[in-house]
Amino acid sequence: MIRSLIHSMISLFAIVLQQERITAPFPLYSPNESVWRQMSQALHVSLYRVLALLIGVLPGILAFFVALVIFALIGKLASLILRAILKAFNFDARIARTGAPPDWTPGTSPTAIAVRVTFWVFVFLGLVIGVSAFDTSYAVGSALTFSLLPYLTRSVGAVVILVVGTVIARFLARSVLIGAVNAQVPYARFLSLGVKWLVLVLTAAMALAHLEVGGVIVELAFSILFGGIVLTLALAVGLGSRHLVSRSIETQLERTERTAAPPGAPPPAPPPETFRHF
Amino acid sequence: MATADPIPELGSTRTLATTDLVVLVASMLPENFESLLARLTSVFPAADVVVATENPAPAQQYSSLRIAAAPPATSSWSLSPGNYVHAWQLAEEHNSRGILLLGPGSDSLDAPALQMLGSAVLSGSIDLAVPRYTLPPHGGMISSSIVYPLTRALFATRIRFPLAPDLGLSPRMVQRLALTAQRLPQPEQAEGLLWPVNEAAVAGFAMEDFDVGLRPLPQPADVDINAILVRITGSLFSNIEAKAAYWQRARRMPPPREIPPQQPITDGASEVPRMVESFRYAYNNLLEIWSLVLPPNSLLALKRLSLMAPAEFRMPDSLWARIVYDFLVAYRLRTINRSHLLGAFIPLYRGWVASHMNLTAAGMGAEAHIETLAAAFEADKPYLVSRWRWPDRFTA
Repeated sequence: MIRSLIHSMISLFAIVLQQERITAPFPLYSPNESVWRQMSQALHVSLYRVLALLIGVLPGILAFFVALVIFALIGKLASLILRAILKAFNFDARIARTGAPPDWTPGTSPTAIAVRVTFWVFVFLGLVIGVSAFDTSYAVGSALTFSLLPYLTRSVGAVVILVVGTVIARFLARSVLIGAVNAQVPYARFLSLGVKWLVLVLTAAMALAHLEVGGVIVELAFSILFGGIVLTLALAVGLGSRHLVSRSIETQLERTERTAAPPGAPPPAPPPETFRHF
Repeated sequence: MATADPIPELGSTRTLATTDLVVLVASMLPENFESLLARLTSVFPAADVVVATENPAPAQQYSSLRIAAAPPATSSWSLSPGNYVHAWQLAEEHNSRGILLLGPGSDSLDAPALQMLGSAVLSGSIDLAVPRYTLPPHGGMISSSIVYPLTRALFATRIRFPLAPDLGLSPRMVQRLALTAQRLPQPEQAEGLLWPVNEAAVAGFAMEDFDVGLRPLPQPADVDINAILVRITGSLFSNIEAKAAYWQRARRMPPPREIPPQQPITDGASEVPRMVESFRYAYNNLLEIWSLVLPPNSLLALKRLSLMAPAEFRMPDSLWARIVYDFLVAYRLRTINRSHLLGAFIPLYRGWVASHMNLTAAGMGAEAHIETLAAAFEADKPYLVSRWRWPDRFTA
């Protein structure tokens, strides 16, 4: 059995190298042979086809990984050079002096961000070129259709959408949580979780739409879900907290009137607290 | 970097003669301005004094004073970077021996206070003269809990009000501050904060503070504590980060000052339960974020605090010092987004305020407590230096 399998593989390699059409080396059915032999022959034929398919795909996979590794190496080299250049020009201090937006304070230094972006841009390029090479070699090597192939290219964009969406969801969730706790808003954690999941659901819907999975169903489901949440919140605020909202608006109006006092008027009264922060 | 010149042309006032003192006065009511000018005349009768102000010219003439125009101030509660730049230009123009910066509400400074600040810089031995105000009960909490202890521990100075709105400056001190102000990014030129005490310490300039008594401190227009605390703390943390090479070295502290005994302050006791409740609410919701910044020991201590009754709520000084240091390190490392970090710091500060009010109500003098707190910051400074150098070594 093993010997026949090896023999079959050798003959298969020969076929692929000769770029000839794959044909079974023996007839598929003969009325003079036993059922067992016929089944064995049928299995052999199936194995031939699977192995032929794999061998046809292998150069494409190899091309994909080679492109990815080469571009990752280039990216690493480029990021190292960029880091040296930015350090030589004291990039972080210059950015600090020119003034980044105060609310945008990332967790890493500007130099580290630039270096990482450079590296991942090259990795992304490697992915794109690798997928193109895979697509090209596969199309040449085989006439078979491969339904998952279009998704391989789109999946890169979908992953980017997912990563960015997750980062934004976490940032917004923390902002809402801290702001709500400092403003003494009840259910701060619930609000934060709500914002986080809204953004995550939106991200997932965008990723699925990008992958063209589900079609109209995803859009409909997302519209119903999102619209339902917003309607629920609007009803909750409108019916349950209208007094709170009206008081808040009145307070805001009073504050605006106080700050719009004419020039030369005495300064507004200090807050009613018995302590002063400054 | 090109920066817009915030100073208008002063025209024919330029002179080569030496002026004793240049006084930059913030905007105030006309009668208060007249009163301040009268006090300046009485304090410096023989000196040549130039007063630069945005106030209208006084009705009465003062023989020893010359009035010059000044651009409108951009900050209503502190000295802005533009003030330092303008003071430097005036000092250069008038070849002055000393500069007095009098911030908003400075009309309440009495004559001895003006004399102390002015004479200190005119003597030539002091580069930075800072007033030491007598605070009202429960006043200046941010300065007492964060600014003063941090500045004292890291820059080895006992200046009680590092962010004072009135200052006496020598020409070289104002020059240094003006150059620092000009290096600030454009958005911060108007509303940014400078830290004169830190600058003087790094430059090795002589500084001293003078007891000037009670003075109503101007308050920011925005009474929202979230905005004020984030702005002051963020600016101070950034300044400390920029001067890390200086404060990591061990330095000898100046001798301690005498603290007069104070009466218990009980008028804030009614607000303590609300603040403690706010702290508990934050503990239940922000623990996840605090755990990214604080070591387990501090988290355990905070848990114990959250279980205390409002009347017994006491935050140990060592815990508060450790919390401030850990947030400072997290600010430097950008452990989380900086606006998130400073936002998560606010409930802890509220907890400290509640604890301080409880302590003062129980009979401890407010200034005595602040001095004890500052000593705790000094004692824990090696922890900060170690974490600054090896951030990953301390996880407990």
